[in-house]
Amino acid sequence: MASAQKTPKTPSHRRVRSEVKTPLTPSLLSALNTVSLESPIKRATSSSIPLSDAFQRQASGGVIRKGGVESRLDVVTLDYVPPPPKSEVKRSRSTPVINLAERDRFITSRDHTLEVSATLDQMSLNVPSGSPTHTARLAAATGVPINRRILGYHLPPPSASSDTTLALQREFARPLYANRPGAIATSTGATTNKTRKISTQPERVLDAPGMVDDFYLNLLSWSSSNCVAVALEASTYIWKADTGAVVQMGEAPAGTYVSSVSFSNDGAFLGIGLGTGEVELWDVERGVKLRTMAGHQAQVAVLSWWQHLLSSGCGDGSVWHHDVRVPRHKVMELLGHNGEVCGLQWRKDGELIASGGNDNVVNIWDGRVGDAPIAGDAVATGNAKWTKRNHTAAVKALAWSPWQPNLLASGGGTNDATINVWNSTTGARLHTQTTPSQITSVHFAPHRKELLTTHGYPTNAIGVWSYPGLERVAEIRDAHDSRVLFSAVSPAGDMVVTGAGDESLKFWKIWDIPTADKSRKVSGRGEGVTKSGVLSIR
Amino acid sequence: MAPKQATRNKAITLKGSTALVTEFFKYAVNTILFQREVYPGDDFNMVKKYGQVVLVTQDLALENYLENVAARILQQVQKWILTGSVTQLVLAILAKDTRTTLERWVFDIKLVEPPADSKDATGKPEAEIQSEIRAILKQIVSMVTFLPVMQEEKVFNILAYTSESADVPAGEWVDTDPLAIEASKSQQVKMRSFSTDIHRIEAMVAYRYEE
Repeated sequence: MASAQKTPKTPSHRRVRSEVKTPLTPSLLSALNTVSLESPIKRATSSSIPLSDAFQRQASGGVIRKGGVESRLDVVTLDYVPPPPKSEVKRSRSTPVINLAERDRFITSRDHTLEVSATLDQMSLNVPSGSPTHTARLAAATGVPINRRILGYHLPPPSASSDTTLALQREFARPLYANRPGAIATSTGATTNKTRKISTQPERVLDAPGMVDDFYLNLLSWSSSNCVAVALEASTYIWKADTGAVVQMGEAPAGTYVSSVSFSNDGAFLGIGLGTGEVELWDVERGVKLRTMAGHQAQVAVLSWWQHLLSSGCGDGSVWHHDVRVPRHKVMELLGHNGEVCGLQWRKDGELIASGGNDNVVNIWDGRVGDAPIAGDAVATGNAKWTKRNHTAAVKALAWSPWQPNLLASGGGTNDATINVWNSTTGARLHTQTTPSQITSVHFAPHRKELLTTHGYPTNAIGVWSYPGLERVAEIRDAHDSRVLFSAVSPAGDMVVTGAGDESLKFWKIWDIPTADKSRKVSGRGEGVTKSGVLSIR
Repeated sequence: MAPKQATRNKAITLKGSTALVTEFFKYAVNTILFQREVYPGDDFNMVKKYGQVVLVTQDLALENYLENVAARILQQVQKWILTGSVTQLVLAILAKDTRTTLERWVFDIKLVEPPADSKDATGKPEAEIQSEIRAILKQIVSMVTFLPVMQEEKVFNILAYTSESADVPAGEWVDTDPLAIEASKSQQVKMRSFSTDIHRIEAMVAYRYEE
């Protein structure tokens, strides 16, 4: 500690400490530097060589200071010496003699300019003093071209505002958060076309305690003999519109529930599908069960009749034709859905049958059933005439047009909410209309070129659409307190009954019975004839 | 009629060419960010451009980042292109967690020497330039088929290689690491190029590929 000893001011205890501690800490080092500050400058001024101002600044800045310290210190000291600015480097190069003279013998092997150029190289800046081959190699290695700057914007790019992980789930949930579109001005909650006056109040409300709030079930049917069948959990009730009387049609077996009801075309029989997969056949007039047709392995969510054929759509995606007259009731099997079949509709003439499933597919099948039974347990299987995959959600709503046989309307569930109208002959999609919310059922108006749809959340509406324009004729918002799940059109074709999860049935007068049409109907048309004027709910 | 046609053809100026290049860069960046799934696909919207459908982000923050706020990236890039001080633009895709560079999409911007006999040389018709741009964008889309799938979350970074003398707005652009991929672990694919009368853009992609 030569310099420390030279300085008389140094307190003895500090000197002792510096000698004891062999590994030098930065704090100690700086202490040493401050202590030894005086002596090198003294030495510099005492030397005969004249010094420039810049060099003196450099000296006081600490470059030369290390010369006064012992060898083992100066290795560390170098790290603490900030590289002098470029201009000073040049100047110091021009006066190498001074530098050499000032250096301690331990660091003479080090050249300042080289050190500086090394640090500048590390900073990816080109230094003219650096070896050109080295710079070239450096440039090649780092991919940094010479005389170039690589600039990046000071802000990092924003992170994605939406999170991908739950995108799919959010997509599913989006309809639930949807604003009620096309908010309506009137307080009645309905919009009607000027040409039409549709009452926004139901004609009649019936209590339906225990009605299951399940989109996939079909718990409401209105027969041609003017009876409304509704299933409330395990029980099925028939409300006779003519008299207002209510008859209970018996209970489902313990442990299960009724998942679908459907009247036969003549209204004399009622098919009841159960959660266990059985299909029951009831005589409406006598109120007795005629038979139980078992075989399905999952819930029978939908039934549709054509004469003696009762077709059932099952939770496993199969559709069976049951011939209710024969012991071996299962006469045909239609396999074309991967998901639960929740929509099934025979065409009036029995030529075609349409099915819709939870796999978003609409299938149109040939309705013909082979006469001769196939030997053994095998049954004939049908092939879909058309398979339509345009919907993006479960298809429950299906309807054949009564006035143009080859028209089929289908409506999709929450994520789809679209009405599609198909031509069953050509397979073409004729019309498409997006609606604000889930479509739970669709009907063609019997006497008008119109469509009726019922909707789920958020509008809970009944919509009437013109055909073929698919313009909104009327809309009854909030027809029920919860989503409108089931609907049926009266045999006379003027009333519609809707059922919903709010445990009520509501009867709406949507259309008028045209007088001319009425007289024609009285004169008699094959099936589906209603005793006109019979329908008086009031 | 004929001379008028000629002048219109020749009318691609430095400014016009710069605008073209900048616009191309915008769509190229959007296409890459969509195709490489740096940002979720739902945030992108289809836009008709260059006679084809291009996906452009709707993410406001990203849109702002790329262009909206004045002096942001593209505008600055436009200035640089205008002065000819930018030679390369790089879109680097990094892994969010490890910050390793996964892909580098490099666009070299070269100034084309104007032909000596520029008097009678008619400019390149814009339709031709557009079809070249279209080819590059299509190539970016088709690149997805062979580029390695990047499982991790990604971020991107735009680098500009400028000349030493370029005007750099203080505090907005900073010298950065080149974000290079080690030569032993990367593969490079040269893509198509396009040129206006003044600029020539050459595209290249380097991606991390480890056996």
